[in-house]
Amino acid sequence: MFIFDNLSLLFVALILLGSIPNLFYMFGYLIHIERKGYFLTHYFAFIISMIGVVIANNVIVFLLCWELMSLTSWQLLLSDSKQKNISKIAQFYFIMTHLGFVFILLFFLIVSNGNLENSSFEALKDGASSFAYPTLLFVFASLGFLSKAGVVPLHVWLPYAHPKAPSPVSALMSGVMLKVAIYAMIRFLFDVLYPWPLEWGITILMLGSISSLVGVLYALSEHDIKALLANHSIENIGIILIGFGMGMIFDTLGLKTLSSFAFIASLFHVFNHMSFKSLLFMGAGSVLFATHTKNMEKFGGLIKAMPVTAWTFLLASISISALPPTNGFLSEWMIFQSLLNSDVINHLELKLSIPFAIFSLALTGGLAIACFVKAYGITFLGLHRSTNAKHAKEVNLLMSFGMVLMSLVVLSLMIFAPFYIKYFDMAVSDFNHISVYKEIFPTHIYSLHAIGSHGGIVSPLILVAMLMFITTLIYIAGKLLKVKTRVHHSWACGYKTGHTTQYSATGFAGPIRRLFMWLYKPDIKLKRVSIQREETTFDESFFEVHVKPLFQRSLYDSTAKIVNKISYFIYRFAHFEQTRYSAMILTLLVSVLFSYRLFIGEFSWISLFFEFVMVSFIFRVLIVGDKR
Amino acid sequence: MILYIFTILFLLFVSPLLLGIIKSVKMFLLYKKPVSIFQPYYQFSKLLIKESIISTESSHITRVAPYLVLSPLVVVLFFLPPIFSGAFYVGFVDAFTIIGLISLSTFFLMLLGLDSGNSFGGIGSSREAFISSLVEPAMVLTVFCIGLMAKDLGIANASINLSEHFPKEYMASYLFSGISFFILLLAENGRLPVDNPETHLELTMVHEAMILDLSGFYLLLIELASSVKFVIFSSMFVSLFMPFGLGFSPLIAFVIFIAKMVFVALLVALIEVNGAKLRLFKVPNLLGVSIVLAFLSLISFYVLGN
Repeated sequence: MFIFDNLSLLFVALILLGSIPNLFYMFGYLIHIERKGYFLTHYFAFIISMIGVVIANNVIVFLLCWELMSLTSWQLLLSDSKQKNISKIAQFYFIMTHLGFVFILLFFLIVSNGNLENSSFEALKDGASSFAYPTLLFVFASLGFLSKAGVVPLHVWLPYAHPKAPSPVSALMSGVMLKVAIYAMIRFLFDVLYPWPLEWGITILMLGSISSLVGVLYALSEHDIKALLANHSIENIGIILIGFGMGMIFDTLGLKTLSSFAFIASLFHVFNHMSFKSLLFMGAGSVLFATHTKNMEKFGGLIKAMPVTAWTFLLASISISALPPTNGFLSEWMIFQSLLNSDVINHLELKLSIPFAIFSLALTGGLAIACFVKAYGITFLGLHRSTNAKHAKEVNLLMSFGMVLMSLVVLSLMIFAPFYIKYFDMAVSDFNHISVYKEIFPTHIYSLHAIGSHGGIVSPLILVAMLMFITTLIYIAGKLLKVKTRVHHSWACGYKTGHTTQYSATGFAGPIRRLFMWLYKPDIKLKRVSIQREETTFDESFFEVHVKPLFQRSLYDSTAKIVNKISYFIYRFAHFEQTRYSAMILTLLVSVLFSYRLFIGEFSWISLFFEFVMVSFIFRVLIVGDKR
Repeated sequence: MILYIFTILFLLFVSPLLLGIIKSVKMFLLYKKPVSIFQPYYQFSKLLIKESIISTESSHITRVAPYLVLSPLVVVLFFLPPIFSGAFYVGFVDAFTIIGLISLSTFFLMLLGLDSGNSFGGIGSSREAFISSLVEPAMVLTVFCIGLMAKDLGIANASINLSEHFPKEYMASYLFSGISFFILLLAENGRLPVDNPETHLELTMVHEAMILDLSGFYLLLIELASSVKFVIFSSMFVSLFMPFGLGFSPLIAFVIFIAKMVFVALLVALIEVNGAKLRLFKVPNLLGVSIVLAFLSLISFYVLGN
C-alpha cells in the first residue's frame, strides 16, 4: 500500500522541509484569517495528502491522496473570500485540476487493465508494456501531471490561482505542490513507462524550454508581486524539465552516467526551487500583511521598516536569479553542464538543436536577474510610494522566525550540497541507473565536478570563502582610510526628492516589454489631463499596462469561442423542422454511397472532388438553408 | 605562487591604465589635446580623500552594495588564465562561474541604482537589466563554443589548450565566436555602440546613471569595479582568441601580454571614435548579431567536427 524507497523518502523530506518553516509562518499569519478552524483543518489535510501522494504504492491510494490534495488546496484558495473574482478563479482552478485528473484516471485505467485495487506500481509495468501505444500513455501522463505542475500551455490557471491563496498556502502550493506533480511524473516514467523512445525526452525538453521562457517573460510584465512569483514557478518548473528531458535523452541514447547526472541536477533544482520559492512567497506575504496590497507600484522603501523580510528576500532573490555561490546557481550550473554534454551525442540533428535549449535557459537566466532586480528594487528600495508602505511595520515574531528558518534551508542547500546530492544519487541509482556520486565528488566534497569529457568544476564553499574574504579586505581598507561620510538628500535636478521621481515597476520592465511586444500585446491605458489642450504640458497623467497571457487569449478563449459556435450549430440542427431531417438522411445516404467506392478501392481524385462538391452543395442548400 | 599573487595585483593596479589609454587615444584621434594616460589614477586618488555623501533616501544597500559590486570581480581575477606557461593558475573554475560572478556584480549595481530614490538610478538599472539579460545567452553560447574547441570548459585550461593546439581545422567557428565575444566585451563594459561612458545626458547614459548618486570612496569602488571588469574581459579575449606568446620566457611573455591588452584597448578606442551610439532599442540587433554568430560558430563546429 505504501512505498518507502529512496525517491519517496526524498520527497517526504522535501515536503517536510517546505512545510515546517511554513508552519511557524502560518501561525503568525493566522490573525488575518477569518475562519480559523476551517483553514487549519484544510491546511493540515493538504500537507498530509501531499505526503500521502509521495508514499502511495497503490493506484487507489494515490488517486485518493491526489484528489484530496487538489480539493483541500481549492478550499484553501477560497478561504480568503473577500477578494475580487475569487470564486471565478477558484472555479477555473477546480476545472483545470480535474481536467488533469481525468487524464490521470485514463492513464491508470489503461495500465492497470481495470484492476485498480491491489496493484502496486511495479505490477502496472506489465499493463503498460502490453499496451500497444505507449506514446498515448505518455501523453495522458504528461497531460495529467504536467497540468498540475503548470507547464506551458497548461499553465494559465497557475498565475491566477496561486496568488489568490493566503500567503502561507501560496508558498506551499508553489513551493511544494508543484514538486509533488513532478514526483508523480518521475515515478510513473521510471516505474511504469521505462524504456523511453527518444521523442519523449525531446518533448519534455521542448516543453521545459518553452515554459521557462514564457514563465519569466510574463513574470517580468507583472506588477502584482505574488503573480510575479507564480509566473516564476512556471519558469522554474521549465528549468527542472529541461534537466529531466536531457536525462531522458541521454538514457535513451545509452549514455547512462550523463543521464544520472542530468536527473540529479533536476532533482537538485526541485529542492532549490522549493526552498527559495517558499521563502519568496513568505516575503511577499509579509509585505502584503504589512501594506495590505499586492500592487508593486504601491511599495517602496520597505527595507527600512522590515529588515528581516528584506534581507531574507534578498537571499532568495539572489538564489532564484542563479547567481553564484547560491544553491540556485549550483543546480542551474549542473543543468547547463548536462546540456553541454550534448556534444557527445552521435546524432547530428539532435546535437544541432540542443543549443536552442541552452539559449533559452541562458536567456531565462538573464531575464530572471532583471525580474528580481525589479521585484526587489521596487518593493524594498527607494522611497515609499503610498501611505500604506509608509506605515508598514515588521511582521510578528512567528512569521519572521518562519522566514529565517526557510532561509536556513536555502543556505543549507548551498553549504551541504554534497550531502543532498548523495541522496539524490541514491534515489536515481535505485532505478537501474549508475551511481555517479563518486564522479561528482572524486576527491573531496569541496568541489563539484561535472561529468563528461571536458566538464567544469565549481566549488561553492571556496567561492563563498573568497567572496567573504575579499569583501572584508575591501571593507577593512575602507575603514583604514577613515572615509568621511555625510548624509544628504538625493539630487533630483533641483526639485524636491519625492516618491514620484522614482522609477516604477512598469517603467522598469519597459525596454524588455517593448522588445517582446509581439508576445505581450499589452492593453495600454493612458489618461491625461492636459492644460489648455496642449500635447506636451499636462497636469496629471495616468499610465497603466496590463498584459493578458497570449496562451489564455489564443488557446483558451478561442477554444471557448469555437465550442460555443459548434454547440450553437448543433442546437440549430436539433430544432429543425421535419423536412430538414429527411434532407439530412438524404445527405448521409449519398455520402455513404460515395464513400463506399472509396473503401472498395475505386478511387480517383476527380470523382472525389465532384462528390465532395455535391455533398457539400446538398448540405448547404437543404440543411443549412438561408441564414437567419 | 608569488608570481600568481603578483599577476593578480598587477591586473588590479593596471586596470585604470587601460581605460586611461582608451581615453587619451580617443582624444588624440579627435584632434584634442590628450590627457595623460595616468589620469584615472589621479581621479581615484582624488576620490579617496573626498568625503562620500550618502543619500537620506537610501538604505543599507547603498552602504553594502559597492563592496559587493567590486568583490566578485576581484574574485574573478583569481581565475583568469595564466600570462606565461608554467605559471600557477586556477584551472578548474569554468566559464559559467565567471559569468555568474560578473552577473552578481551587475545585480548589486542595479540594486544600487534603484536605492537612492532618484529617477536617474531607475533609468540606468532598467536599461542595464535590459542589456545584460540579452548579453547572457550570447555569452553562454560563445563560451560553450570556445570550450568545445579548446576541449575544456575551464577558462584557464582552455587558454592553455588553445595555445598548445591551435584549432586550425575549426577556423571558421573560431572567428565567429571571436567576433561574438568582442561584441559582448563592448556591451558588458558599456563601451560605445551600446553605452557612452563619457556622457551624462539622461537620454544616453546607462552605467553612469546608476552611479550618479555616489561619491567619494563608494564611487571609487564602483569605478574600480568597472575598470576591473574591462581587464577581465580583455584578458579573457586575449588569452582565448590570441593564444600565442605564452611559451617564451616569463618576462617576454609578460611584455607580449601587455602589448595584447593595449591592442584591445586601441581597438576599442578606434571603434568608439568611428561609431555612434546605438539607440537603446537598436541594441538588441547588435546583441542579436552576437547570438547568431555564436550559433553559427557552434553549428559549423558540429558540422565540420568529429
